[in-house]
Formats: sequence, structure tokens, C-alpha cells
Amino acid sequence: MGDLNIAVIIKLEPDFSEGNVSYNPDGTLNRAETKNTLGPHSGIAAHAAFFGKVMYDAKVSIVTMGPPIADLALKQAQQISDAEELHLYSDRLFAGADTLGTAEVLRVGIEKIQQKMDIVFSGHRASDGETGQTGPQTAWKLGFTFLGNVISYSVDLETRTIRAKRLISLQGSPNVIEEVEAPLPVFISIDPTYKSSYNTISQRLAFQKYKKEAIQRANTFKDYLKVFNAKELGVDETLVGLPGSPTIVYKVERVPKSTATRRAEVIDGTDPEQIRKVVAKMKEALEAMVIK
Amino acid sequence: MAEKYRHLYVIIEHEDGELLPVSLEMIGEARRLLDGFNSKYSSNEKVVAVILGHNIKDISKQLIEYGADAVIYADDPELKDIRNTIYTKVIGQIAQDTKSLGEIESEYASEIKRPRYMFFAADSVGRHLSSTVLVELESGLASDINQLVIEDIEMSHQQKTGGKKETYEKTLKMYRPDFSGFLWTTILCLDNRNPAFKRDYHPQSCSIIPGVFEPLKPDSLREGKIIEFTPTIDEQDLKVKVLSRQIIKSVVDFDTPRTIVSFGRGIKDDPEQNIKLVENLAKELNAEIGVTLPISKKPYTVSQALDSKYMIPDRVIGTSGHKTSAMLYVAAGVSGAMQHVWGMKDSGFVVAINPDEDAPIKNECDVFIKGRMEDVIPLLIEEIKKQIQIVEA
Repeated sequence: MGDLNIAVIIKLEPDFSEGNVSYNPDGTLNRAETKNTLGPHSGIAAHAAFFGKVMYDAKVSIVTMGPPIADLALKQAQQISDAEELHLYSDRLFAGADTLGTAEVLRVGIEKIQQKMDIVFSGHRASDGETGQTGPQTAWKLGFTFLGNVISYSVDLETRTIRAKRLISLQGSPNVIEEVEAPLPVFISIDPTYKSSYNTISQRLAFQKYKKEAIQRANTFKDYLKVFNAKELGVDETLVGLPGSPTIVYKVERVPKSTATRRAEVIDGTDPEQIRKVVAKMKEALEAMVIK
Repeated sequence: MAEKYRHLYVIIEHEDGELLPVSLEMIGEARRLLDGFNSKYSSNEKVVAVILGHNIKDISKQLIEYGADAVIYADDPELKDIRNTIYTKVIGQIAQDTKSLGEIESEYASEIKRPRYMFFAADSVGRHLSSTVLVELESGLASDINQLVIEDIEMSHQQKTGGKKETYEKTLKMYRPDFSGFLWTTILCLDNRNPAFKRDYHPQSCSIIPGVFEPLKPDSLREGKIIEFTPTIDEQDLKVKVLSRQIIKSVVDFDTPRTIVSFGRGIKDDPEQNIKLVENLAKELNAEIGVTLPISKKPYTVSQALDSKYMIPDRVIGTSGHKTSAMLYVAAGVSGAMQHVWGMKDSGFVVAINPDEDAPIKNECDVFIKGRMEDVIPLLIEEIKKQIQIVEA
């Protein structure tokens, strides 16, 4: 075992890939018919953890809160990250939690892992909830330094510090890459553009070795899986689930149809003569930048 | 009536001595909301801008001109870089600082504990900061909001009220478009009045999508209080260091090009070929390529090159991505969900290509070319080659 301990927070989400996703006629997601899978951003976080495994021989643990079927996401994340420990926090008491109530479960769970964590990763945001709040909220509850939008990182095991590059994009400003240094432990939410790069031969060999190991482990993922209910975790029941959630979803409604902002001229897309006229209009619209 | 929670605090963002547009938009919306609130409830609660940084006193004044009643600023060399831990703690200190609350309004100084409402920007800084601040303050947060209403709400809720009917006064209704863009969810942050686990949840907070609300016109005659706050910064937290900041050119540029071609799930019959068609069309028009939110979730298997170039969040046009006002906007295979429309509606001339005449995009375009993109785009390209010659900017 290395002397770096990594945990990853993941989520089972609707599978938005074609063939697995189903939409209602009104364009909303048909949850009953849609399959579930490891969230794409969770997958990227698992890749970032695997980078720690290859580079620093880290011990990786994966944790999630969800229904019993969320073990599928743990298996998928193990296959990416070669995790040695999988935690599923599952209890009816956790249901309906907002991000604060969820972060509390994740905090208690991560603190329950035998080793003290050095880095905890989360994805950028879930593809269904899309708040992006659970990661930073768990970080704050853990008392870890939070680094968001991380696109690459390296660890100095001797000084126990991390260097990370973060991508910051603000309205009306050019994007900035900020490099930060922080003492461990840290909590990182991974940017969607994160990529691991393995440059030396020994890194690539380690990559191959652990990749193989990861696939083997995931085949018998249940051997690595621990399932905890509220009691086993020892959470304060007033801080999780609905009682621990300041916010509620009050109403879900169809977005009111906006009154037409433009009156479209409808043309037949197979008629070259009509297409010719459309292009003439496009040209007109672009007049300032075109010449004959 | 004295109350524990008063005022609306807006967490301001700025860069290189300039206020970000979203900061002024938030102040504008806060002003409109509280003006309505104060007349409805015969009250006198304030819009309070909170700004952290170094050498920021001058820009603090602008916040008054744009509609704030008061500004609380923390000016310290250690606040020059935005470090989440330090910023979270300082904002937490300001939100619970009864001294500055007393300066804003001396009348209720002894009762008041915290702000009633709090706004953050839904961007790379505000999203994370709002999350950590609201854990620090142990209250609720809704993200990516595009409409706000303050109302009294009567409800009975199994958990919140223990099933009893209760009235929650002055509740902030926070509307957010969901991931599909077809649904709108209203989030409320409510105190637990259930005797089994009573707990106050204030401030009611949200992060606001940049570009949604209009700023007010600045008025140099507006007056307000500017209050300095001296933050307490933990030595330990200074160990997090920003080593460098480097401006990069984004691979995706929606600001410079005058034309944007975007595609949505209409590529589904042959994603690989259809993306290539869109690429060719964009090339003819010297256009940048945008996508709808569902595309950024990689619903189709295409070659790695196209996947990593196009099916990415950075290209999303809409409330969870970019807003454009291109001179020409071509939407190919885009249904026109609200969240996408918000990002493109300010464009000059809009052409939609879609086989379904019932698609909402029809209401948002100038020309609706009825047909499959497979059939229409080749004809368009052919015709563009004849008629339009793009001069590189």
C-alpha cells in the first residue's frame, strides 16, 4: 500500500446515451424507462484517482450514497480506478436529501474509512441534479481545502503537498489557468476537461498492470463492497435525509411556452430554389463581413 | 416588527479592478425584489453588497450607484487571490457580524442575527463559494437560478411542518431550469418547524446564472453606506498558495465569430457523419460550433476526435453554458428547449433546420427549413459556396 489515500465520491445517474435514455413525448426524461449508469463526471473523478494509483501507488476507495442498485456505479468506478474499498451508504432515511443532507452522509462515511484521507475527488456535477454543490459541501464538512475545476495535479509525498491546475472561466473574461499549492488533505472537484497523462515507460507499465488488476477486481466487486445503513454509519438522523435538508422542491412545472419571439418563414429543405433564397438572406445578415 | 433575519446580501465578484457583469445583474435584481418586498410588507430591508479583495474601496462606490443600499468590503492583501477556504470564512464572518448589521440599520441592531437572503453568481467562483459558505452557515442553497419571487407560502409538509398547515412568510421562490430544459423547478429554503427537529435555515440562498437579469442604470446621485470589515484570517489557511495565473485562449470562442452553427440530438441517425456535415457548414461560414446541453453528455458513440472536440460542456449554448448574440445563428437538429433558447435568442438572424414543425425552435427562428439535416446541409453548403465568400477577420 502506498502512503497516499484517495477517496472518490461518485453517483449513479440516468444514462443519457442513445438507446438507454428514454424521453416522454413532452421532452422530459422518462426515468422509469431510462437505464442508470456511473455518472460521466463521476467517471472522470475515478480516472483522476487512478492517476494517483499509477503515479503514487495510492490506495483508492470509492463511496456513494444511493439505492441498493447504486452498487453498479461502484463497480464501474472500480473498473476505472482499481479501488480496494467500495462503500455504499443506503437507507430510506437518506432519501429526499438535498446537497447538505447528502454531504453529511458522505462526510461521515469518508471519516469511517480506516485510513485518513489525503485527497477526496468528486465529479464536476451530476448530469441529473446538476447543482455541483455536493462536492464542495462535503469538503467543507470534512474540513479539507477545496480545489474546484482541477484539470491536472501532482503530489509531493515528502512535503505532503499537492500542486493543482484549475480552469477558471468567468463571464466576459478570458479563461484563466491558476496553479495552486496546498498542504494535504484536499478535496478536489474535477473539471470536465481533466486528462491523465502517463509519460514515462514505467508509468505506462504501472498503468497497464493496475488497469488489468482493476478489471479483475471489478469482476468480483462484491468482495470489496461494504453497505452501510444509517445506524451502521452512526449518522445524526436530524442532519441527513429530509430533516437535514434546508431546501425542498416545491413545484415542478413545464416551462411556460414562450410567446414566439420571431415569426418563422417555413421552407421546404429539399427545394434548391428555396435554399437559394435562404442563403441570400443569410448573406444579407452577414453583409458587414462578406464581399461578393 | 423586529426580526432575526433581515436584508439581502449579494456576494460581488470582480476581476482586475472591474466588477463582473453578473455582480451588477444580481444587484439590479436584488433592488427590484426588495423594492417590491419593502412596499408589500411596509418594511425597509436593504440590498447589501459584500465585496472581498485588495484595493477595492473605489469599486465599492459603484455598487451603490447600481442599486445597493450598503456595501460591506473586506480589503486585505491576503484576499487578492480567491482562496476558497479564506473567502468562505470571511463571508461567514461578515454574514454573522452584528456590528456591520447594526451600521446598516441601527434600529434592529440588537435582534438581528443574519441576512434573510443571499445571492451568489453561478460561475467558477460563486458556485463553489456558495456551496461552502452555506455549509458554514448551515443553511440551504439553490443553484443556477433564472427567476426569483418573494411570497408568503402556506403549506403543510410531512417533514418541514410535521404535517401541520403553516405559513412561511417572505419566502424566496427560486426557479431553476432542469437539465432537460423543459421543466422548471421551484426550490424553497424553509425552517424546520416540525417539533421533532426544529431548526432555522437562514439565509435563503441561491446562485444566479450570469446574463439572466438586467443591471440597473447607474445613478451617481444614489447614496449608501460603505462599511469596512476587518477580516480574521487563520494563519493555517495561508498555506494554500496561488502560484501563477495564466490567461489562456479558449479552444471554443463564442464572442468573436459572427456566425455560430449549433447542433443537437437531431444528429442521431448518423452522429459521426452529421457532425462532419455540421463541421463543413461551419467551415463555409467561418463559424464556431455550439451544442445543446444533452450533446455535452455524450449520448452517442462517435470517433474520439469528434467526441473530445464537440461533445463537451465548453461548447454548450444555453443557461448551463454560453450566451451568444451572433449575427447569424444556424440551429441544426435543435429542438429548442428553453435553456438552449436563452443562450441564442439574442442572435441576429436565426435559421433552424428540423424535420419537426412542432419543435419549439420554430418560435425562435427567422427561417425554419423543414427537413433532415442530412438532406438540407449539403444543399446549403453548395449554395453558400456560390453566394458567400467569407473574408477572414
